[in-house]
Amino acid sequence: MSKEKKSGIMLNATNKLKNEMGRHFLAIEQAYRDGKPTAWATAGTPVELLYAMDVQAMMPENSATISAALKQSKKFIEIAEDQGYSYDLCSYFKTNVGAVSSKAEMSVGGTRKPTFMLSSDVICDTHVRWFQVQAERLNVPHFTLDIPHVVSNTSNRQREYFKKYIKEQLWELLDFITEVTGHEYNEEKAREVASNSYELGKIWQDVFELRKNVPSPISTRDTFGGLFPLFTMPGLKSPIKLYKRMYKEAKLRVDAGVGALENEEFRLMWEGIPFWYNLKFFSNLERWNAMIVYEPYVYAFSKYTNPNITKDDVLNHPVESMAELVLSFWYIYDLETRVKKFKETIKEWKIDGVLLHNNMSCRPNSCGQYDLKRILMEELDIPSLIITSDMNDPRKLNETQVVNQIESFIEILRQRKKK
Amino acid sequence: MKKIGIFDSGVDTPEEIILAAGFVSCRLFGDPTIEPDKANEHIPPTHCVWTRNLLEQAIKGLDKDIVGIIATHGCDRTNREFDIWLKCINLDFMFFLNSPFKRNKIALKFFIDDMKELISQLEDSFSVKVSSEKIKVAIKLMNKIRSLLMEISEFRSKMVLKGAEFHALVKEVQQIDKNEAIKLLEAKLEELKTKKTTVNKKYKKILLTGSDLDDTEFIEYIENLGFQIVIDDLGIGTKYFWNKVDENKEPIEALAEYHLKKPIHSTKFPSYERYDVIKNLAESYKVDGIINVAHKFCEPVLYDHPYLSKKFKELDIPYLFIETEYNRESYKQLATRFEAFGEIIKRRD
Repeated sequence: MSKEKKSGIMLNATNKLKNEMGRHFLAIEQAYRDGKPTAWATAGTPVELLYAMDVQAMMPENSATISAALKQSKKFIEIAEDQGYSYDLCSYFKTNVGAVSSKAEMSVGGTRKPTFMLSSDVICDTHVRWFQVQAERLNVPHFTLDIPHVVSNTSNRQREYFKKYIKEQLWELLDFITEVTGHEYNEEKAREVASNSYELGKIWQDVFELRKNVPSPISTRDTFGGLFPLFTMPGLKSPIKLYKRMYKEAKLRVDAGVGALENEEFRLMWEGIPFWYNLKFFSNLERWNAMIVYEPYVYAFSKYTNPNITKDDVLNHPVESMAELVLSFWYIYDLETRVKKFKETIKEWKIDGVLLHNNMSCRPNSCGQYDLKRILMEELDIPSLIITSDMNDPRKLNETQVVNQIESFIEILRQRKKK
Repeated sequence: MKKIGIFDSGVDTPEEIILAAGFVSCRLFGDPTIEPDKANEHIPPTHCVWTRNLLEQAIKGLDKDIVGIIATHGCDRTNREFDIWLKCINLDFMFFLNSPFKRNKIALKFFIDDMKELISQLEDSFSVKVSSEKIKVAIKLMNKIRSLLMEISEFRSKMVLKGAEFHALVKEVQQIDKNEAIKLLEAKLEELKTKKTTVNKKYKKILLTGSDLDDTEFIEYIENLGFQIVIDDLGIGTKYFWNKVDENKEPIEALAEYHLKKPIHSTKFPSYERYDVIKNLAESYKVDGIINVAHKFCEPVLYDHPYLSKKFKELDIPYLFIETEYNRESYKQLATRFEAFGEIIKRRD
């Protein structure tokens, strides 16, 4: 087995990501200076509606990943545990509790007191409980969206009244925002935001389309970081430019037959949230000529993946279309749809093997992975490896053990290629 | 008689609809004497110990009279694991009921829609008619059970009935034919009315809350350490009978309203309202202390604990939090903590 180091190349455009994120944090600072309303929001909520109502969004999950990348998350997590929060609870939540309790700066993952909070249980109940904790501590209003859960045998008839329930809550949310901030809903502004969000999501999907090429023009060096504008700034104009640059550069690579990795041998899929405190783990895969070419988690935030929702729907019904979109979010697919999407993706992106992150902080996502692994092997003859760790808590990554697992996994893939 | 099994981490399943469809409603409980070996092939061992235990039993084979399952949304576990149940067990009827997280008017309308869907699917699957009249009859029956349980529950604080014995009774009622349940409860009530105080009056009066603790031996174990559970905030307890369904309203609406108005469960929002529920019970029953027990990985209870701890400290009510595995061996390791809690209470006397 070759262990020669082969460095993958990051897109030049990705370097501009720092500027984009800087712009986001400056906008937050500016909002506080101007007395503009701000809101914390959890992943999966329609952040577009905040921007449409002229409210500056802040995503504590995003801030938690910054803490992890700067090796600060462990310290914050332990502060939360000292306050009584269990070792087994979500590490994003605990990072946020620790960061806010210790009045950490935004640059290391702190998040300022907002005007209000917006959560939903679309991804997990934790999001709602997290904001319940912090809304009580910081004494701010909290609105939560209750999203019905689609399971493998949910019928279309059920989906219809699920959507109705969500739509009613979205209008209720807008009333809530008006009550808290005094800002009225403006349909024109909502359309403009929806249009930007749609464009951003679609370009991201185009970038992913380019990854179908062998060799793949981009790697996780571009995508894990590149995700953040989708997460924090959907509906704003500025990140569109960045994504267009990323696309253009990646397309040039495709046309020239250049890959992000010099000798791409193994194309992998990564399911789950990465270890934000150890992103080098992913670039280290390159030493085995292996590269991740698809991450459902990263793709999911491109949002506009439901073919029933057209651009016209989004532009003409910016609130209503959100109801359908939150029900068809990649990250929360029921098991049957998840298996179907994995099968399609494996085929289209020419995946050799799947790495599944059994993330101790995200039980909803980890649930079903064992069945998924078995089905992929039995029905597609695609090997998978389950890695048990945590997205933000470095104490839960046994790096030596995981590297050994990866080595063995790559060896399996190598042997299969020889056949 | 055929049964519909209930997989519910709260008690939000409208049993009346099951009864009106002509089935026995039978809530599924864990078995702490087994290891979830088969379930661990589907769900990581770092997930809820209780729901893995239920899946284990389902894979190995449920009661042969169970012809269908209703899984009701409690915590995240129910919806995610329901898909695995669909793959692992072969029953004609499998329904996921989206009991809403919120409790306002919009949520009420949604819950009514979901219950109507449940009725429609029951009717289609079993060729039965679930009429409003039948649901009304079932509501009366269940309300009778609620009244009887409420009355019997009071004998705990009179130090006549052990908390463990009451727990076993509520558990049995959740599984058996409801007409039989009424006979059982009426007989128990008559017996209690003639019974004198048998519980040691020196025992410390406790309010028990936490995960849906379904092992009666665990309750017995706690009480044997010098406590009497005089009141609780549990699904196998007050949450099952505290309120009644309005018999004068349209029955489906009345059922939905009942579930959204009853004392809030830790799986619902805003779960911090549990504090008021527990505080009121603790004050009404003049408890010596509160014990909050979380099954390992039971996120709803784990999230609420620091808040409850802080609030009860402010009220100067002794509060003990315990995180436990779901097997009887592990109970023994908790003895010291319970005993120390007993000592803390004793020193305050």
